[in-house]
Amino acid sequence: MQEVLNVEGSNIIFLYYQDIESLCGANMVSVKVLLFAIFREKYGIKETELEFDGTLNGFLKALGEKISPKLVEDIYDQESKHIKSNLIVMVNGRNVKDIKGELKFNNGDTVAIFPPVAGG
Amino acid sequence: MPGGYVGKIGIIDLTDGSIRIEETCEVLGKKYLGGKGYALALLYEYAKELEEKGKALSDLDPLGPDNAIVFATGPATGVPGFPSPGRYHVMALRSPLTGSIGSANSGGEWGPFLKFAGFDMLFIKGAADSPVYISVVDGCIEICDASDYWGKNVFDTDDLLKKEVCGKNVSVACIGPAGENLVPMANIVNDKHRAAGRTGLGAVMGSKFLKAIVVSGSGSVPVANMEKFREASREALEKERKNSVTAEGLPTYGTAILVNVINNAGMLPFKNWQFGYNPEADKISGETLAKNYLIKRRPCWGCNIACGRVTSVKTGPYQILLTEGPEYESIWALGNSTGVMDMEAVIKANHLCDEFGLDPISTGSTIAAAMELRQRGLIKDEYLHGIDLSFGNAATLVESVWRIAHKDGFGKYMALGSKRLCEIFGAPELSMSVKGLEMPAYDPRGAKGIGLNYATSNRGGCHVTGYTISPEILGLPTKIDPLTIEGKAQWVKAFQDFTCVVNSAVNCLFTTFALGAADYANLLSAVTGWTFTEDEIMRIGERIYNLERLIMSKFGFTDKDDTLPPRLTSEPMPEGPVKGQVVELEQMKKEYYRLRGWVNGIPTPEKLKELEIEL
Ligand code: SF4
Repeated sequence: MQEVLNVEGSNIIFLYYQDIESLCGANMVSVKVLLFAIFREKYGIKETELEFDGTLNGFLKALGEKISPKLVEDIYDQESKHIKSNLIVMVNGRNVKDIKGELKFNNGDTVAIFPPVAGG
Repeated sequence: MPGGYVGKIGIIDLTDGSIRIEETCEVLGKKYLGGKGYALALLYEYAKELEEKGKALSDLDPLGPDNAIVFATGPATGVPGFPSPGRYHVMALRSPLTGSIGSANSGGEWGPFLKFAGFDMLFIKGAADSPVYISVVDGCIEICDASDYWGKNVFDTDDLLKKEVCGKNVSVACIGPAGENLVPMANIVNDKHRAAGRTGLGAVMGSKFLKAIVVSGSGSVPVANMEKFREASREALEKERKNSVTAEGLPTYGTAILVNVINNAGMLPFKNWQFGYNPEADKISGETLAKNYLIKRRPCWGCNIACGRVTSVKTGPYQILLTEGPEYESIWALGNSTGVMDMEAVIKANHLCDEFGLDPISTGSTIAAAMELRQRGLIKDEYLHGIDLSFGNAATLVESVWRIAHKDGFGKYMALGSKRLCEIFGAPELSMSVKGLEMPAYDPRGAKGIGLNYATSNRGGCHVTGYTISPEILGLPTKIDPLTIEGKAQWVKAFQDFTCVVNSAVNCLFTTFALGAADYANLLSAVTGWTFTEDEIMRIGERIYNLERLIMSKFGFTDKDDTLPPRLTSEPMPEGPVKGQVVELEQMKKEYYRLRGWVNGIPTPEKLKELEIEL
């Protein structure tokens, strides 16, 4: 398909190609997001599904659009470009801080977002 | 005595009714602080006396008159401005549940009020021949007749004794029917809903015919260097205010918020630890508790964090208009482990545990073990007297609490605790306990350090001996990978030692989410007037842990008892986020003993000498 489009030889057509790909969902993932404690109260949502490109940026963008940009501010530190260190954010039960390398999401993942909590 | 102590210890012999008042010893205070550490030092001396009289410690009956129990505060207890100073520690030479040292900690008001009544500690031995209570009022100790209170539940006992001893700052620590009936899971409840919960200390009181200890007084605790203390206190409280857990997480949601966290990590033991993830756990979560049942927060004396919950079930079969809790551990044991997803039944069962004086962790876990025995066809109908022991049966849960406390029907088997119950019914491996103490609410297949801690915890399957869940899951003070075993021995040792300091100071362990050994060194130096460094603080903790180990070894405990149920070491987690994981215990244990300087799980003479533990 790319070759066919390249025959047309234009960037516009190349963008069109990317668009088609996203419309087809080839690189998109669907992720379940669970909110807990104060996040659940503040945003009135327990659980939602997000579709994005599998990157952290894509996740944050989709989260902001689906729930609230404020939630993104609550969980993401713009300066360090990381999930805020005092939160407990798990992907499939694994704390993101224990995940080595770049944080990527796969189709069917569950992301659980907790504020700083503890107990005994 | 320096600051932090009121300077007196009551030595009470219930056999002959004698009461002696001793001065709190400065040398022991410096070496062991107070609370757990000082109590251990007293118990060790007492154990040596028993041996000198030709009594073998290995034969010591935990429910006999020779067992001793110590109610101990420390230099932090009752000092306004010390972070969360409203706690006390109880130690018994031997636990009826485990045969090891008995040890438990409680909040509320009783600890500070004992000091206001003029005593740092009470050491109690012997046994009365009829029910008594001990009254400690403004420097005077009396042994009083408790015939009118024997048979009463915790709430009535508390109300009645408060009326009888109506002074300033009155607080009652007592047992309910479970303690009277010598149930080895019985606890000691103070202020109605705070409990020295674990290792069956309520049964030790019951065996001595000791119904309650009432304290009242108008004293206060001296502080050696007030200016330095104000500064140390201000710094520590500021750290708590800036810490998102002590400033927001615990005050807002209490401990129950962990239900969803731990479940999502795949390590919330479900149906007697057959699974680690429960898809319905949210029904009994901290969020559900806060949304539907919470009335207000309730702090222990002098605490800024105020994690305690006052709750209510307004209608229905489990209606309770006013109660406290349940805490995370109680929700898990009574709810998740038994598969009961009815929050109102869990609140009711927890309330009944308080009313009858039962440890909810051991109680819920034992009911869950009975349910698995039944699931496997190992308990025949004739034992059950009509109880349906299926997982998830809310009515059975609530009824079982009553039956255990009163040793009624099948309750008399469950009242033995899960270890003996599972032995009797032919499947000892189904008791999810260590050294006979039922483990708490974290499956170590999802956090290996806590597994090592459970195995090596002196009092048995306990999380608060060395709460490595803090770094492994919560990321405090720093995040470590829960699934690796590397470095875990070091973490466990450090947490166990530091916890000994907190339990000897005595204040609340939850302060350690924000404060470290250096903060404790500052605070304790200012309060006592002695100079503690961070290293010395940790060395005191290590000394206490080793002394406790030494005493246990005299009951016959060795490395063979530092173990976990086979389910955790050889049955891979069947599903959920930590599917396939087991605890690689032996590898971690080797490293742990090396760091501890123990051989066969026992401190060497060189180690004891290094720590200045006199034999
Ligand atoms: S933090 Fe909670 S348990 Fe600890 S002293 Fe305060 S109210 Fe009590």
